[in-house]
Amino acid sequence: MIQADEEALLPAYVRRIPAGGYRSLNPLTKLTLAAVSAIVAFGVRGWTGPAVVLVVVVSSALVAGVLRRMAPFALATLPLVASILLVNTFLYPNAHDVIAVFGPLSPTWTGATAALQATLRVVAFGLSAALFALTTPIDDLLGELERRRVGRRGSFVVGSALGAIPRTVERAREVVDAQRSRGMDTEGRLWRRFRGLVPLIGPVLFGALAEVEERTMALEARAFTAPGRRTILRSLPDSGWQRAARWLLLVGSIAAVVVSLAGAVKLP
Amino acid sequence: MSAETAASVGAAASGKAAARAGLVLTGVGYRYAGASAAALVSIDLRLEPGRVVGLVGANESGKSTLCLVVAGLAPGVIGGRLDGSVRVDGVETATMRPHELAQRCGLLFQNAATQLSNTTSTVFEEIAFGPCNLGLPAAEVVGRVWWALRTAGIEPLAPRDPARLSGGQAQLVALASVLALRPGYLVLDEPTSELDPAGTRLVADALTRIARETGAGILVVEHKTDVLAQIADEVVVLERGAVVLSGPAAVTLADPRLVALGVEAPAAVRLERAVRASGIEWSAALAEAIE
Amino acid sequence: MGLLTRWVRRQFTTRVIVLMPVAIAINIVLGYTVQNVLKLPIYVDSIGTILVGCVAGPLPGAITGILSNLIWQYAPGIGGSSIGPFAVTAGVIGFMAGIWGYLGVFRSRPASGLRLIVPAAIAVAIIVVLAARMYTIPQYNDPNAGNYPSWVYGAIVVIGAAASIAVALFVYLRRDAAGAWVAVAGALTGVVAAIVSAPIAAVVYGGVTGSGTDFVVAALRQGGADVYNASLGQGLLSDPIDKTITSFVVFLILAGVSSRFLARFPLGDRLVHVDAEPARSPEPTGTPSDS
Repeated sequence: MIQADEEALLPAYVRRIPAGGYRSLNPLTKLTLAAVSAIVAFGVRGWTGPAVVLVVVVSSALVAGVLRRMAPFALATLPLVASILLVNTFLYPNAHDVIAVFGPLSPTWTGATAALQATLRVVAFGLSAALFALTTPIDDLLGELERRRVGRRGSFVVGSALGAIPRTVERAREVVDAQRSRGMDTEGRLWRRFRGLVPLIGPVLFGALAEVEERTMALEARAFTAPGRRTILRSLPDSGWQRAARWLLLVGSIAAVVVSLAGAVKLP
Repeated sequence: MSAETAASVGAAASGKAAARAGLVLTGVGYRYAGASAAALVSIDLRLEPGRVVGLVGANESGKSTLCLVVAGLAPGVIGGRLDGSVRVDGVETATMRPHELAQRCGLLFQNAATQLSNTTSTVFEEIAFGPCNLGLPAAEVVGRVWWALRTAGIEPLAPRDPARLSGGQAQLVALASVLALRPGYLVLDEPTSELDPAGTRLVADALTRIARETGAGILVVEHKTDVLAQIADEVVVLERGAVVLSGPAAVTLADPRLVALGVEAPAAVRLERAVRASGIEWSAALAEAIE
Repeated sequence: MGLLTRWVRRQFTTRVIVLMPVAIAINIVLGYTVQNVLKLPIYVDSIGTILVGCVAGPLPGAITGILSNLIWQYAPGIGGSSIGPFAVTAGVIGFMAGIWGYLGVFRSRPASGLRLIVPAAIAVAIIVVLAARMYTIPQYNDPNAGNYPSWVYGAIVVIGAAASIAVALFVYLRRDAAGAWVAVAGALTGVVAAIVSAPIAAVVYGGVTGSGTDFVVAALRQGGADVYNASLGQGLLSDPIDKTITSFVVFLILAGVSSRFLARFPLGDRLVHVDAEPARSPEPTGTPSDS
């Protein structure tokens, strides 16, 4: 564990202590909030669960100043929301309280209610994921997890995966462009698109696998498999109340789900 | 604070050079797992502290395999069968675990991107990756990082994002990362092959400086014999897994048999041959002017 | 406990640790491209998961699947959509792939003549049985569970027939009996995936996922199926196909990668023949060959 005077050894660009009301929370706290949001948004039946999550998430986003940047995440839920609204409103099974008659595809109040509720849950969850993604740099989180014994290999897998994604996207983009210039359809008929898929997968996959051997040796050459605990240079502030809050939130959310599922307390 | 730590770390490193016995290969043969033919045959090689040895040869002559054997990754990490003995400062590499090997002999490949861990946001932390893996105290880690940055000549790069560096810079960061483990020997497999002339110069200068300041013994595989002419003390030529030529750099690189062995001589040597062949006098002054 | 610890540790070698992030990235990038750019009604987001499962073991496979879903859901830039809660399914798929790996399902079995026909026939029989089983499950038949329109039965027949023909062709054209086992493994994985996903889709998302498969859900609902059964019905139509295609892709990748590379993985000895011949195909670049 790095001491205060050792902290001073690190240049500022390494220490990278986040500022701001929400951001300065320990990454584990932000992670707990994301997990709890997911649990409550999906686990607590009715409107209350997702509504509470939405309120908490949006106000936290305001405090952290990321509200505007959540817009693309909200938009990303649109196809799912559209699907939910359409399929559930018009095709809800065993619903007979029809809103208007359109023959076999009549919208029903039950269906519409279910649809809106599901939409609220999806949006609440999506925004909670967005809040986490926008306020928590991954190396902050991984460092804190490792300090609490997650282990260097887990930390490496997640960190390296995140780094590998843009690299693979680049490679895929190059292949798609090359194929498109050779006439692959990305918009056309289904069969054409299927055909275009095959030459895409091969180069992307083999290119990615080719690196595995050299990366393995490079890791061993950097003493990755040395025994004992790895030194964590950066330490982020944590506090007693945050630790307590994390436990409370976790236990509280599970309790809320259990209570709701058991039907003990009827919430809207 | 950092300057003092860096200096003391550097002094400790070069102080070790005097006491070390060298990296010695005796009668080394190697066969990859599942391969029918041996990749290396009866190699004797000696890498002294503070000396730079160049390794050349045609493609498929076993240079990369030899690098893996010298660094102990073969058979340690990739399997296969090793005959003969590889000793680093008197200790058999076969008895050492990969992380112990990493602290004795560092290994660098030609593709810088695959050697970066891709898990760090600054060059500083990237170079700290190795020492942190060893579980060293934070103060020592930081000292080693500054020392490695300085030795590789890349201090200004410390705050940069490792994913956004040029080829030459990335290769130097990879070099510094390996240096941070304070190995007594360095093995580099075509470090400049993917670099432009500016990057090549950076790496070549860094290698000379490392050999001089840290007393590390360096083995460099290079197709660019010009680089070897500049930095190598000795050159070894491989063909089909065996050593066919070796000697002081200037002598070996001028050897006429190199061409037949698939190695292009340095530009200065080729120029001298061309000049002599066309009947013009070749004088020492001309050689001076070219250098 | 010692045995369990050793079993766990054996599956997580450094090579596997390096492969997993690559596989996760493949899952996410290919899945995103297929679902959002090409907009095909299959997922193709498990190639990496199944690959890791069958070369490393059930635990790495499961973790690859779980992490792929979580990272996809929570990563900045590509986040959103609905993939997160299906991490459970992805974990199951990876675990099953590990089991197939232990059973050597993905090992090439070159054969000809009669020895080719028998596995192909068995595979076709299993596929037919699976399809027939689906044909008769209550979800598709019981009027209380929702009487499905007749096109569903037609779809099952067509898919079953097409799958059988495709598998038989594959086995025949590549002269490789393993194709049969791969098909069976893929179909079984798909069925299990559908069964695990249905409650997640139904409870968490009200039965739809925003992907191309939702129109199937809608059609099934129109026939009168309830939320859970519509999800299960859709899953049983698309998941076995998707996972079988994915398994074949993985099989083809394994066939195209050098056996030397595969042999170094934990389950490598079940993927390549014991007395491995030299690589059938060029080394992936970056693997040091005898150069």
